[in-house]
Amino acid sequence: MVNCYALRGLRMALISPCSPLQSNLAQARLHEERKQWRKDHPFGFYAKPVKSADGTMNIMQWEVGIPGKTGTNWDGGVYKVVMTFPDDFPTKPPKCKFDPPLFHPNVYPSGTICLSILDEEKSWKPSITVKQICLGVQDLLDNANIGDPAQIDAYQMYKNDRAAYDKRIKAQAIERRPK
Amino acid sequence: MSSDGENEDLMFEDEYDDAFDQDEDMEDVDSTSEPDVYDALSPAIEEAPQKKPYDISWKVRTLQEIIDMQNKEIKKIQSLLEVPASTAAILLRHYVWNSEKLQEQFWNDPTAALQGAGLSPPSSPSTRTQTLPSSPEKRPNRLPRTTVASPSIRTRSRLPTEPFECPICCTDFDKTLVEGSTFAMGCGHRFCRDCWGEYLSGKVKGEGESAKIQCMESGCQRVVREEVIDEIVSSDISKRYHNLLNAAFVADSSNLRWCPHPNCEYIIECNQAPARMLNQLVPTVECKCGHELCFGCGYGASHRPVLCRIVKMWEKKCADDSETANWLQANTKECTKCQSTIEKNGGCNHMTCKKCKWEFCWVCMGPWSEHGTNWYQCNRFDERSGIDARDTQAKSRASLERYLHYFNRWANHEHSAKLDAEFYRKTEKKMEQMQNSGNLSWIEVQFAKAAVDAVIKARITLKWSYCMAFYLKRNNMTELFEDNQRDLERAVESLGYLLEQNIVDTDSIAKLRQDITNQAAYVQKRHDILMDDTLKGYLERRWEFSVDI
Repeated sequence: MVNCYALRGLRMALISPCSPLQSNLAQARLHEERKQWRKDHPFGFYAKPVKSADGTMNIMQWEVGIPGKTGTNWDGGVYKVVMTFPDDFPTKPPKCKFDPPLFHPNVYPSGTICLSILDEEKSWKPSITVKQICLGVQDLLDNANIGDPAQIDAYQMYKNDRAAYDKRIKAQAIERRPK
Repeated sequence: MSSDGENEDLMFEDEYDDAFDQDEDMEDVDSTSEPDVYDALSPAIEEAPQKKPYDISWKVRTLQEIIDMQNKEIKKIQSLLEVPASTAAILLRHYVWNSEKLQEQFWNDPTAALQGAGLSPPSSPSTRTQTLPSSPEKRPNRLPRTTVASPSIRTRSRLPTEPFECPICCTDFDKTLVEGSTFAMGCGHRFCRDCWGEYLSGKVKGEGESAKIQCMESGCQRVVREEVIDEIVSSDISKRYHNLLNAAFVADSSNLRWCPHPNCEYIIECNQAPARMLNQLVPTVECKCGHELCFGCGYGASHRPVLCRIVKMWEKKCADDSETANWLQANTKECTKCQSTIEKNGGCNHMTCKKCKWEFCWVCMGPWSEHGTNWYQCNRFDERSGIDARDTQAKSRASLERYLHYFNRWANHEHSAKLDAEFYRKTEKKMEQMQNSGNLSWIEVQFAKAAVDAVIKARITLKWSYCMAFYLKRNNMTELFEDNQRDLERAVESLGYLLEQNIVDTDSIAKLRQDITNQAAYVQKRHDILMDDTLKGYLERRWEFSVDI
């Protein structure tokens, strides 16, 4: 059975090509972000572009450390996030991924973070800085958004057995303590 | 079928609309002023459109009319609330063009209304911004005033007294360049024009956004005005932006719908088919592009006499693989040990699973070892498990057969409809032949085309009648429905047969012409009876369905 009306109502093609100019823009912005970060950044965090195998710096990919907030179950751990910036950054948000993946209701099994400010269709704005993303992710750690689950394990434990969840988070914080 | 001219205000009007609220703005134009070609030529088939209680009236609008509609609303709000046009537009879009609700909320609390729509300046959640003292709505120009508070923040420098660095691309601007190369809305968040252009183009082109594009500042919900976008982006992006705005307006209006046919730019306006009426109305309308569509669900053809919701269910049923599962259940069994699916296509009842080598009996599904020496014959029919297994199988077999019965008939008519063009071509050839051999004039052979029209129309209705019958509960009403369906089916078949007849000589042409004209009139009549009865049945709540609608 072939549905001959499958194309009904299809009125838009969503393709946006990326010009080399955009890539330059992304790099300029990221260099500036790097400069600002070195001048001043929140305590306990780190953020630096990764080095490729040949030793050159890849400004389009950053390694970021997010410390758990003091006084929460996350305290003590520093959670590594890899930020991959697209060529059309800052029009498009960077992809942020916990490496290794994190036990948290809003983190996909791959490690990718589900957060509104990182979603171009939700609250992403070109003016959001790496610093703001870092603080946003730190805030998300202990303030899981239960309406938007991204992994089943953490979500179900959070919902059904809060004590076990808290215990698991504490264990994870010890596991991710910086050496 | 009523005539249609090029008159843009032409209205497809049926006077039976007293029961519905008629929009005052709709101008009634008499559509009968132009003579209908077929009416004049074959009155037996093409009668003047009759007024039916289930018919609806509609209007075909052009894009320009849609734009005018919006402008009219915007002007109204503009003068009532004493705000600039673009403010009125943003407010209206925010309130989904419900101007009563907008006015109520605006007079109740103007600041809240403006703020909710992304217009009022105060309190951006961003840590890097400051609030502005008062509403910018009364300002004549869009450039931010030079009295922005707190100059201490790097990115929000005042204009144009100090150099500026765009917080997005980090480009520095000399103070003489700030005014020309950067831009900030009333919220005061300043960025360079290149970044604005990149951002706005991305939103319009990449994400198809239009009415709700916000300021680039994190957390700032200020909506970007139309004229700002038009000024900053290239003309093709601006054109696309306005198209998106119009598309959003049509999507937001329950009384408007795009014609779904490719490359058709018309919009249908219909005030008599709100969503709540769709359980008793099938609002089929005809666009000026010549195609029919359903106003209720946007289906690209008439699906009368079936309700939109039933059509949706039917399409889903036909499209998804639920029927594959049914087939598997009806035609296969599972190995009792490893659950592999097995279709028996021959051989005896002694089955040996290919996968796990388990030996069992196909008839009773029990282990073969218990059959002892009773080779190839199972006499263990009375066993409980065997009976259950057979029962469920019989049930799903019956349900599959029932579905296939209706589906085959539906698909058959669907297939015939696809051969329409061929049918017309063949008939045209025959009409030529008649003109040549039978000394008939062009006008005199039009009966054949009219007959083909009748057949095609009836086939579409028949097609949907099978979908309808599939979902109908078995009762007396359904029997009557199926009687009507059968009569129409027969009439169509015999007319189809007549149309396939070869032309032998002049005498036979005259007889054939008479027969075809009569039969076509009969088909038309049977068609109208089926359609009338079914559509009226909804209004009288005569039909009972086996599913919830």
